Amino acid sequence: MKDKILMIVFVLVLGSILTTALVAVNYLTTPVIVKNEEIATKSSILKALNIRFDPGNVEQIFADNVEVRQRNGTTYYLTKEDNIAFPYSGSGLWGPISGIIAIAPDLEHLKGITIIRQEETPGLGSRIAEAAYLAQFQGKVFTKGLELVQPGRGGRDNQIDSITGATMTSDAFISIINENLKEVVPVIRQGESQ
Amino acid sequence: MKSSTLAKGQNLKTFLNGVWRDHPIFSMILGICSALAVSNKVENAIAMGAGVTFVLLATGLLIAMLRRLIPTRVRMITYMIVIATFVIVVDRVLKALFPDISQAIGPYVGLIITNCIIMGRAEAFYIQNRIGQSLIDALANGFGYTYTLVSVAVVRELLGFGTILGFQVMPEGFTKWVVMAMAPGAFFVLAIFIWIGRSLAGMEEE
Amino acid sequence: MLAVHLLTIFLAAILTHNIALTYLLGMCPFISLSRSLRTASGMGFAVIFVITLTALINWPIYNLILVPTGSTLIYYVVFIIVIAATVQLVEMIMERFFPVLQAAFGIFLPLITVNCTVLAVSLFMVIRKYNFASTIVFAVGSALGWTLAIVIVAAINEKLKLVGDIPKGMRGPGIIMVTAGILALSFLGFSGMVNVQ
Repeated sequence: MKDKILMIVFVLVLGSILTTALVAVNYLTTPVIVKNEEIATKSSILKALNIRFDPGNVEQIFADNVEVRQRNGTTYYLTKEDNIAFPYSGSGLWGPISGIIAIAPDLEHLKGITIIRQEETPGLGSRIAEAAYLAQFQGKVFTKGLELVQPGRGGRDNQIDSITGATMTSDAFISIINENLKEVVPVIRQGESQ
Repeated sequence: MKSSTLAKGQNLKTFLNGVWRDHPIFSMILGICSALAVSNKVENAIAMGAGVTFVLLATGLLIAMLRRLIPTRVRMITYMIVIATFVIVVDRVLKALFPDISQAIGPYVGLIITNCIIMGRAEAFYIQNRIGQSLIDALANGFGYTYTLVSVAVVRELLGFGTILGFQVMPEGFTKWVVMAMAPGAFFVLAIFIWIGRSLAGMEEE
Repeated sequence: MLAVHLLTIFLAAILTHNIALTYLLGMCPFISLSRSLRTASGMGFAVIFVITLTALINWPIYNLILVPTGSTLIYYVVFIIVIAATVQLVEMIMERFFPVLQAAFGIFLPLITVNCTVLAVSLFMVIRKYNFASTIVFAVGSALGWTLAIVIVAAINEKLKLVGDIPKGMRGPGIIMVTAGILALSFLGFSGMVNVQ
């Protein structure tokens, strides 16, 4: 009998301590975590659209400059100058790559690309996330699809340099961008023509 | 007077034990899983070390506190539930305060649950010792684990990225040893550390 | 095409994203059991069985119970309990109905509960939001990949002990790590075979 009582006491004591710990941690951390994710996405959108901001006022700047629109289940972001940004994702060489693509109002030129998540080889494939690499996407024409070329060989307005030693990641990244553009831009075109 | 000196001696012995003789990684080859995966950058190693130390301390505290109440037949399950709960705490706190590091080592934080060190100490020590001693042991093991991880990470980050904690240390023209940032590098560096550690401690087989 | 997608996950789990050689998981038993080919393959079979079974059980629990009720916070606790319980159950069934198997693989079962790979497969399944079919393929593939790695390392080590003059400090865990490292290096050659999500 004493054993059973001890067992019950044990379960109760352990249960309450652990549940309290979990509930407390959940209560304290969930708002922070959700906030972090929101700010990360918003910062990325602002960065792609080339809108200046400080880490402290992301929310304010976003609210002032960006309008959220939805169409056919796709969410995209519109600025006062009619630049548009939308999230993209796909499979890289080592894992998923995701971020934001920003395009000009003519729906033909790229304004900018950011990468939020990637797991490519450090020092090689993950160089796609470097500012210098992403900068070359600005102003490129994507209507016929972006084309990957050897560094220094490209001259046309839809060509992007690949990364030496990271051909597979460069390939995968360009495919992801092209596919997402192909999929989302028509939806935006429809949404904006109204 | 004498009893407090004895007590102090006991505490010191326990601490030194965890840090050197029964060192979790070198001598007992426990907890290698995360030591390999998380040691690519010093900041990841510190975060993981802190996480494991916290779980060790919390588990040590709780198990030692309840040791008279825990029925023998369910003690393994008890350890698991307690450890899993505190790992959830670490995971959430990390996500909230250091989202970048959390993304880098995310799944490996969850795997602290299966980290043999914590279960091992719970079964070998916390279930039979007072709270004070258990906390000291937890601190020692956590410290031993952390300094190993950080040592390996210093080598790997230095050679693989040229930085330590993000600060550029190697000269600009340094060609990065990309292998150090990847899995094989982890194996090799740890092997060398084990070699040095064991040779110094005069250990042989097993 | 679903079949191609599943094949990709399967191949990736064995070759390009090997759970032992790329994600560096399941190392503890690696060290102690890759001394001999027999123990390595014994553990391998047990691991394949347990990982697949626990993934099969954890998926519905996560997606059909935890998610709809919004209790995903505790999924670590739930998963580890399921794993421990499954292993217990398997042990009991083997003792009762398959004594021959029990004699061969029985000792490995308790160790599997703390083998990071079992929990890791369930965790990855959640992080990558795999559906049921992908989960099964991923679980079997990962387990096979782990077994492949440990068996190769064990085979190499057996030979090495016969012909090698290994320095004292390197014997045991040290040389196993080096072998595993070289194997991991060679597996890198598979990267680029498949693009993984």
